[in-house]
Amino acid sequence: MATTHARAAARLMISPSVILLLGWMLIPLGMTLYFSVLRYNLLMPGDNPFVGIENYQYFLTDPAFTAALINTLALVVGVLAVTIIGGTLLALLLDQPMWATGIWRILVIAPFFVMPTVSALVWKNMFMNPVNGLFAHLFKSLGLAPFDFLAQAPLFSIIWIVSWQWLPFATLILLTAMQSLDREQIEAAEMDGAGALSRFRHITIPHLGRAATVVVLIETIFLLSVFAEILVTTNGGPGNASTNLTYLVYAESLLRFDVGMGSAGGVVAIILANIVAIFLMRAIGKNLDA
Amino acid sequence: MGQITLKKVRKAFGDVEVIPPLDLQINDGEFVVFVGPSGCGKSTLLRLIAGLEDVSSGEIEIDGRPSAELPPAKRGLAMVFQSYALYPHMSVRKNIAFPMKMAKISQDEQNRRIEAAASALNLTEYLDRKPGQLSGGQRQRVAIGRAIVREPAAFLFDEPLSNLDAALRVGMRLEISELHKRLATTMIYVTHDQIEAMTMADKIVVLRAGRIEQVGAPLELYENPRNIFVAGFIGSPRMNFIEGPEAARHNAHTIGIRPEHIDVSATEGDWQGRIGVAEHLGSDTYFHIHDTGLAETVTVRASGEVTLRHGETVFLTPQAEKIHRFDNEGLKQ
Repeated sequence: MATTHARAAARLMISPSVILLLGWMLIPLGMTLYFSVLRYNLLMPGDNPFVGIENYQYFLTDPAFTAALINTLALVVGVLAVTIIGGTLLALLLDQPMWATGIWRILVIAPFFVMPTVSALVWKNMFMNPVNGLFAHLFKSLGLAPFDFLAQAPLFSIIWIVSWQWLPFATLILLTAMQSLDREQIEAAEMDGAGALSRFRHITIPHLGRAATVVVLIETIFLLSVFAEILVTTNGGPGNASTNLTYLVYAESLLRFDVGMGSAGGVVAIILANIVAIFLMRAIGKNLDA
Repeated sequence: MGQITLKKVRKAFGDVEVIPPLDLQINDGEFVVFVGPSGCGKSTLLRLIAGLEDVSSGEIEIDGRPSAELPPAKRGLAMVFQSYALYPHMSVRKNIAFPMKMAKISQDEQNRRIEAAASALNLTEYLDRKPGQLSGGQRQRVAIGRAIVREPAAFLFDEPLSNLDAALRVGMRLEISELHKRLATTMIYVTHDQIEAMTMADKIVVLRAGRIEQVGAPLELYENPRNIFVAGFIGSPRMNFIEGPEAARHNAHTIGIRPEHIDVSATEGDWQGRIGVAEHLGSDTYFHIHDTGLAETVTVRASGEVTLRHGETVFLTPQAEKIHRFDNEGLKQ
């Protein structure tokens, strides 16, 4: 049978890339799992004895864990809300015929090309700084006391910075979806007596559902692991006020040099990410069906 | 009621005038077909009546009420689009209910009208499906259902059958004609297909480059076209046009004779030619005759099965009383 041979040959030939990919994924995962059951602290050299689930117990009962979990979810939900709502409104604006459309679109997309550390530093030093920041000047010019964003509303500030970065992505996807809406459907709704708001509510928003789903899924993947913005602005503080899971894992492994604990945190983060993924696919995955 | 009067309606896109000032009267209950080659402005004219395009000048009166400035929804017209324009995320029931929901009609009344429209259009068992799960003909009927429930003064159809296959098109043509007989509402129908125009219309409006070439009942246009354009556009296959000495013999610049008004004989006749392509349709046979010395090809129709074959010499005799004579400006003499 030629087909059997062909299939065997095909398997043989794709095996290097499959093995490479699996190795790339499985070896680090296996080592993380392995380290997570060892007492392995770089500040205490010597034996690394097997301790079972001790690391997990400490990690999950750490008060910082609950705070980090809540912060992680708040960050994801907050940024998603801002980018989806803001993105829809911006897309609506950019979809209108106006002067110099190309320039406006480039301006709107620009933040996406700024790397996270840079944009976070710009926001921290040029806008949110309580002495020299533009917001501080604005507050002072109105006779108000400057507001120290990163100290008094750290999580809100980080949500704001991350939203600024992700707004262009949401806008871009939603704008292309809006442009693919059939003109005749809008005209039909117009003939049917729907005003501008009803048309938006009954025709445009359902049409955007699929694109919004894509935005939510892709952004969630990246937002669960926000790190650079926290590192360069608040360092997770004050206290744990802006620590998310990623930052907590970083703090355990690289600030406290506890490899075992950090690995356990990593495994917990993987499990939580999967729970979020399953929940999301249940909730909005049906939008992706044709 | 559904009386529509266009007074000096003009439409220009920038510097391009697509519809020069135009007058047209559409009476209540009439089935009017706008027909013409593509780009003749027939869809634009329909969209002007619908209110989807603004007139550049002129007035549109619907039931005596000036409507050129009214938004589409206030004109009391319903439109069926070429792409059907169904709302893909709504079930058939919700699609049909949408205009009533927008008009804030009570739920009971909505249900009553949906049931009535669905049973009239054979859609009852599809009410809970999405448009994506329906065939082309069913989608077409949903679009019509959505138009019916508004109980409009007039229906506007924009090439509604052009996305259907040939067999379905004939069926839908009949359904729309029957619907018109039953509702007796004014309908305006745009098509480029003169067969649809001939079979459905009470009144045909032939358009070319935004101008009305002729308005009349289908047979009136067939028997008495006002100029060469209408003569050539109405009727299938096309009328034969002959210029030169043969036309001069009839005191005309051009004469026109329809394929069905030429008698074919193997032995004798006024004109002589050689058979090119023969199209055997069973009921009729169309011959494309070459080398007549009159025109490049002359098309003739012979009834039933004819034994003439490709390459043979034939003789043609036009029926004298069916010859159309046109002057040098293309107008009928």
